[in-house]
Amino acid sequence: MSDTLALPPLAADGGHTMRYDIVHVTRFDYGNAVKFARCNLRLRPIDWPGQRVESYALTVAPAGRVQPARAEAGLAHVARLVIEEPVRSLTIESRARVTIDRAVPVPQADDPSLAEVAALARASNDLSAAGPAAYLFPSPLIPLDPAIADYCRADLAPERNALEAGIALARRIQRDFVFDPAATLVDTPPHEAFRQRRGVCQDFAQVMITGLRAAGLPAAYASGYIRTLPPPGQERLVGADATHAWVLLWCGPARGWIGLDPTNGIWMASDHVVVAIGRDYAEIAPVDGVVLGSGAQAMEVSVDVAPLAD
Amino acid sequence: MATQPALFDAGTNARRWLDDYAGGPDDAMRAGDVAASLAMLEELAAVAGDDLGHARERVQRHAADIGTGFRIIGEDSERPWPVSPIPLLIEADEWARIERGVAQRADLFETILQDLYGAAQLVERGHLPATLVTGSPYFLRPLVGLPPPGGYHLRFVAVDLGRGPSGEWRVLGDQLRAPVGAGYALENRLAVSRTLGGLQGRLNVRRHAPFFAAFRDGLAAACRRSDPRIGLLTPGRYNPSYPEQAHLARYLGLLLVEGDDLAALEDRLYVRTIGGLKRVDALWRRLDPRLLDPLAFDSHSTIGVPGLIDAWAAGNVVLANAPGAGVLESAAFGAFLPQLATRLTGADLILPNIATWWCGQPCEAQHVAAELPSLLLSSAFGARTLGLPGEAPVAGADLSEAQRAALLEAMTARPQDYVGQEIVRLSTMPVVIAERMEPRPFTLRVFAARDRDGRWQVMPGGFARIGAHPDPRAAVMGEGSWSADVCVHGPDPVAPVSLLPAVDTLHVRRNPGTLPSRVADNFFWLGRYLERGEAMLAVIRVMLGNSIDADAGAALGTATVAKLVNELVGAGAAPAPPSLRRADLTQFARTAMEARADGWQSVAAINAHAQRIAGGSRDRLSADMIRLLDAPFPSHRGLLDRAGSLQRRYAAIAGLSAEHMGRTAAWRFHDLGRRIERAQAIARAARVFGAVGAGLDDLSTLLDLGDSQISYRQRYLTGIARVPVLDLVVLDPGNPRALAFQVEAIRDHLARLPVLEDDGMAEAQQIEATELYAMVAPEQAATLTGELLLAVDQRLGRLSDAVARRYFLQGAEPLRAGGLTLA
Repeated sequence: MSDTLALPPLAADGGHTMRYDIVHVTRFDYGNAVKFARCNLRLRPIDWPGQRVESYALTVAPAGRVQPARAEAGLAHVARLVIEEPVRSLTIESRARVTIDRAVPVPQADDPSLAEVAALARASNDLSAAGPAAYLFPSPLIPLDPAIADYCRADLAPERNALEAGIALARRIQRDFVFDPAATLVDTPPHEAFRQRRGVCQDFAQVMITGLRAAGLPAAYASGYIRTLPPPGQERLVGADATHAWVLLWCGPARGWIGLDPTNGIWMASDHVVVAIGRDYAEIAPVDGVVLGSGAQAMEVSVDVAPLAD
Repeated sequence: MATQPALFDAGTNARRWLDDYAGGPDDAMRAGDVAASLAMLEELAAVAGDDLGHARERVQRHAADIGTGFRIIGEDSERPWPVSPIPLLIEADEWARIERGVAQRADLFETILQDLYGAAQLVERGHLPATLVTGSPYFLRPLVGLPPPGGYHLRFVAVDLGRGPSGEWRVLGDQLRAPVGAGYALENRLAVSRTLGGLQGRLNVRRHAPFFAAFRDGLAAACRRSDPRIGLLTPGRYNPSYPEQAHLARYLGLLLVEGDDLAALEDRLYVRTIGGLKRVDALWRRLDPRLLDPLAFDSHSTIGVPGLIDAWAAGNVVLANAPGAGVLESAAFGAFLPQLATRLTGADLILPNIATWWCGQPCEAQHVAAELPSLLLSSAFGARTLGLPGEAPVAGADLSEAQRAALLEAMTARPQDYVGQEIVRLSTMPVVIAERMEPRPFTLRVFAARDRDGRWQVMPGGFARIGAHPDPRAAVMGEGSWSADVCVHGPDPVAPVSLLPAVDTLHVRRNPGTLPSRVADNFFWLGRYLERGEAMLAVIRVMLGNSIDADAGAALGTATVAKLVNELVGAGAAPAPPSLRRADLTQFARTAMEARADGWQSVAAINAHAQRIAGGSRDRLSADMIRLLDAPFPSHRGLLDRAGSLQRRYAAIAGLSAEHMGRTAAWRFHDLGRRIERAQAIARAARVFGAVGAGLDDLSTLLDLGDSQISYRQRYLTGIARVPVLDLVVLDPGNPRALAFQVEAIRDHLARLPVLEDDGMAEAQQIEATELYAMVAPEQAATLTGELLLAVDQRLGRLSDAVARRYFLQGAEPLRAGGLTLA
């Protein structure tokens, strides 16, 4: 599966335009042959303000049937992979070339306050997946939690500028939490990571989303990539070499969704590539589904995000 | 001298009950048609005399006979169904208004759903806030843009009504996902009809059967194929309303299926049956929509069907109701319904909602905050919130000062999570408490279904829930501790619609005729476990001394007793006793009989396996059978008595299955399981107790275990000898306990069960059975060897495996892809 999109012209601002070649390989090895598998692949990056997918190719080995899924939750490209022949291993390779033209947001005096953002979101008449309404509520993997709500409240005074409050909370989480891949698993609930003050990007993002939603704000879970190698003279970002997760806060109709990365304590800008956006991990999981087999499975993931020289 | 209360004077008793009844002027019976109530009470007095408590017991007993039960989540066994002997009577005119109101509501809901999952104009134009939709956990965004096959989202809905002090009916809630209770309404009607047999004719009570027939016809008409196969998808036997689901499946002739029974391939839905995969055209689902398909919604669901939503989206399977309909159930929605009704239909709601304020809007939030003490507060979307003490609605007046402050603070942060509702005072109806009629508040659940023309039919009557306490708010909050039949009556005679006019009878239908593999599996193992329990009991009884041979039992030689002990130890029933002394032996027998812990395969453990399996196929077992299987394990009197009483129970179950079960494929699997198990038991017993040189005690034991003492004594007057014993117990095809008889029956069953191809070739299990028969049939008792018996035993094991491979679900453990750790 491969295609090239027609390219509309990008904003003529060379300052933060980046092009990336992304290779994301997921390999499963099964103890016993798997007779039957159906998976949802959410690997193709979506088009999103400030980013455009120039080309994309998905390959699966050994070959399975890949078709678009009928029922999609929204801000994710879902491909359905069907394996009907017995396989011992499965390699899914996703290659994308993406152009990013996204400036670092700068809070302005006329940005809405958090109270205004909450009221605007509640009154929204946008039922689409990109509207704020769906992200106001707790979701199955990110329930409301009083302890996290209390922790986050300090940064979320209702009258505060929404963007300033958002980045302040992201930075505080980055300061207070220890990045520790051994501390949590993919299904560790937010309150547990919060109790430990440890975890990975998913835990950081989930804690922040819990706090924002408890304050009545629309917050979404974004998954994607950040560039593997830093520009010369800068430090390497945490979360390269793998898929990354961060937070989107809706800041009113004029600002739209603003990305906040609590793992690195930074804004989403030209180092981030959005793949999918959802209420929580369940809606954006890069690979999930049902596999029928009786043995154990092992999984390896590698991600490479290389900036293209102009 | 005892009087004959039943004949005494029903009219006097009825009059007295009514006069003594404490219900106030707004009570449904007091305010209703007194003549009809008197007629109903007379019918009750005619069967119960002057004892209302007796009437209650009687109707409860009928409910138990019908097999009604329910389960409280977390409890292991089902509870008896609490049905009141006194039905709620509603006059035809009053009912007509309810009927119109429910149909209007259902149509309105359909219109709104078509919009929300289609063009979403209501939200875009500002008639509904988007938040009101997205706040519901039942708004399923993946289904937006997919029109429901058959054209409708809703096919079966229920509305909960409360009757106010002046007799007006108001809507307390709507059930749009998988309304519970229609089966209970049906069962209440059956139980009450059996008690008050004359009531139906006397008051012209409208019947339920046409409603269910219309629903089934409507569902069938929505399918693409003309002779569709329709299933009822159950979450399984641990669901609280599983007995209701089983009853409805049986009543409507639907295939009761679990997720495991189904497979979606190439956008089509199939059921795994003993005859291979068979198309399924429609499902009445009782499964939470988010669990339906792990590929579409929650990928952790293990009870759903991967690909089901694809089949639905492709138009190949009708789901009643369509997933996502529950979005309109939230309490918050009630605040918008009156305006939507006028906007979309030009008419006001015939049945008004209770007044509701959704705090997601600033004015409403202010109103609720100001009026907190006089309102009922609840979660707007049914989810747990940070500001309310529990999940249940709570009266503002009942909150402490601190709780009220906490709620107001939480409402400031997330106002959209809360609604305030007016507190409704419910009127009462009579229920029998302490042998008297006492007034209690009640709610009424009314059901509606689409018929084949897509029009709504409303079940005449429904399901009344009666609160446990006199506090009327309790019933609003869903604490129903009694249920009652609801009779719609009027001057017009009701045409008999069914063949048995005395009660509200079943609509006769042919079974869909396909036996799901899971059910075949259940019946097979039910047969095996019952037979295994019976065989084990026989060993215990012989060991303890219960042979009709006066010399056997207590007087059995040590060598024979040791072999009996070995049999039980080998079966894993109990650990070996320290000695063969009487006391040790009794203790050993008790463990083999009753051990429930440590994994011992005691009789009690095997009995529990049988009960568990039977519980999973309730829709296909008779109520008598279920009662026998569910009866508690005997616990009174001595060990031998207990073993005897259990053996008699097993004999009764065997009798029921032999004489009362239709010769369906399900019965064949049940009997096949019994035959294989019995054949293995005999082959083993004959090897152990019938070897060359076996003594009198051994041979007598073999006759006991083969249940052939009497046959032997009638046939041979000379006493016990090895060759004739072996002939009778192993080789005589005329002896229904003999090995040869089992082997023939096994071959016959497998010859009659369906095969996958009609090429005339035998399948693996049939070949095994034929070879087994060829091993046993030509044998002579004088030359029968232990080696042959061992080979037969082993072949029976292979045969059982071949049956399982061919017919049963061979579900490999699903592994899950995913588990990606994001860095």
